[in-house]
Amino acid sequence: MKPETCAKIFSQRETVKGHFLMIVKAPVSFREAIPGQFIMVRLEGGNSPFLSRPFSIYSIYSRGDDTFVEIFYKVVGKGTDAFSRLREGASLDILGPLGRGFDVPASCRKVALVAGGIGVAPLSFLAQRCGEDIPGTEVICYLGAGSSEALAGLDRLEKICSTVEISTDDGSRGYHGSVTGLLKRDMDLYADDDTRIYSCGPRPMLRGLQELLKGRPPGTCQVSLEERMACGIGACLGCVARIRSDGEKGGMVRVCKEGPVFDIDRVEFGE
Amino acid sequence: MNVKMGVDIGGVTLKNPVMTASGTFGYGEEYADYLDIGRLGAIVVKGLSLSPREGNPPPRIIETASGMLNAVGLQNVGVEEFIDKKLPYLRTIGSVVVANIFGESVEDYVKVADTLSNAKGVDLIEVNISCPNVRKGGIAFGSDPVLAGEVTRAVKSASGLPVIVKLTPNVTDITKIARSVEAAGADAVSLINTLTGMSIDIEKRIPHLKNITGGLSGPAIKPVALRMVWETVNAVSIPVVGLGGIMNASDALEFLIAGARAVQVGTANFINPSIAVDIIDGIENYLSDRGIGDINDLIGTLRI
Repeated sequence: MKPETCAKIFSQRETVKGHFLMIVKAPVSFREAIPGQFIMVRLEGGNSPFLSRPFSIYSIYSRGDDTFVEIFYKVVGKGTDAFSRLREGASLDILGPLGRGFDVPASCRKVALVAGGIGVAPLSFLAQRCGEDIPGTEVICYLGAGSSEALAGLDRLEKICSTVEISTDDGSRGYHGSVTGLLKRDMDLYADDDTRIYSCGPRPMLRGLQELLKGRPPGTCQVSLEERMACGIGACLGCVARIRSDGEKGGMVRVCKEGPVFDIDRVEFGE
Repeated sequence: MNVKMGVDIGGVTLKNPVMTASGTFGYGEEYADYLDIGRLGAIVVKGLSLSPREGNPPPRIIETASGMLNAVGLQNVGVEEFIDKKLPYLRTIGSVVVANIFGESVEDYVKVADTLSNAKGVDLIEVNISCPNVRKGGIAFGSDPVLAGEVTRAVKSASGLPVIVKLTPNVTDITKIARSVEAAGADAVSLINTLTGMSIDIEKRIPHLKNITGGLSGPAIKPVALRMVWETVNAVSIPVVGLGGIMNASDALEFLIAGARAVQVGTANFINPSIAVDIIDGIENYLSDRGIGDINDLIGTLRI
């Protein structure tokens, strides 16, 4: 049994404009979380916001007997706005960890992370775990944002990645253009079998990445998808994406249950 | 105090009056980690059709004030796969299993009902004549008293199982449909399905749902549901199963007092996956605290 639990906010602060780092004291079961997994979070009591919101896990750590879950999110609507107003000690209902996380083969020697905006959250957790679990693996992060002020999660990435490459749409910092454009420049570095690419970000970015990786063997790259969810546990069928099953025609697959992580070559991004 | 919680629907005894509503509880197995499924009065599975359906393209859901809109479009594995892959688990849980069915024609409904009647493990059939999210079938049958009666009669004669007919609120007078399906042999009616609604993204000026419209559920619809259940209880003599926005035991008790023989918990399962057992406990405590020894002594006791 892993029922919904009441959790308290340990701390919350705005890191870069509109982006919040919330730390929640969580049940010990959260220590088993895998990067790419997510949690459902709801304000305790009341009906506004009504549904729980899915957040990928930014990090998990323990201090003494206590387990803490970090959620790093951008304010985009009513739900995230309400969460951003909460302070230390506020109660939340949380459920998780949920879904399928990233697979990193133990033989992997080089990892490229391609993060668009707040898509950095699960990738930062992945970088942290790669450092702990497969030491010696080179982790290079490509971090893209609209402008230099919006580069969320950069400080931490610089601590846990071998290299951080930056792109901004307005050219205010790093490569002037899209993060996939930046990756394209370095594609020769990721030609070998022992390299893997992981990504999370806006759909147009993921579509661009899929295009860039055409012809690569299946399994080269995994992406974490975002969808609106009601339940997070596979019942409501609200969060489906069209996914190809091993070369066959695509079907509607639950992002919460079979995902949120999928091999990029299997995702049908549509128009 | 020991409270009798059992209720009878079409000759099938439910250990308590709390069922989980179709489309909100998967095929049961999705919730196995979160509650003791064997405690439920009944599970109503996701609507089943003759062939698998992939449903509507996303976005399929959007939150609204005290509720949500969905336009899933009856995505399901189809009746054959349900029997092969999902029913074996449901046979082990110790709760009544209700198979919710729908079709695009009377023949579809009949074939699905017939197939399920021959599969050991299904106790009741709930006929969905009320889904607002598919072009054909569904609501077309549910909003016409003659067609509703026709589907009911056909399913009843094809099925050896008792039949609940699930009604749509998107009609002028729900009691007309209820009376028609009662006359056609329905063993019970359940209501309400979702109310058709809409939501618009004002920045992009597009509907939030790809399907444009969807079904509204959640606490926003509870007063409407309760009113319709009350009207229907007064219009028919078969059992009425009440649903629509039930979030806690107090909501469920309102429906029971209004005369519903049982209730279904729907959208609340999304908010808290173990809510159904909390509601069962809450109803039992209510009865026990008031010295009511049998749930049936509470049902339909509204004082006017």
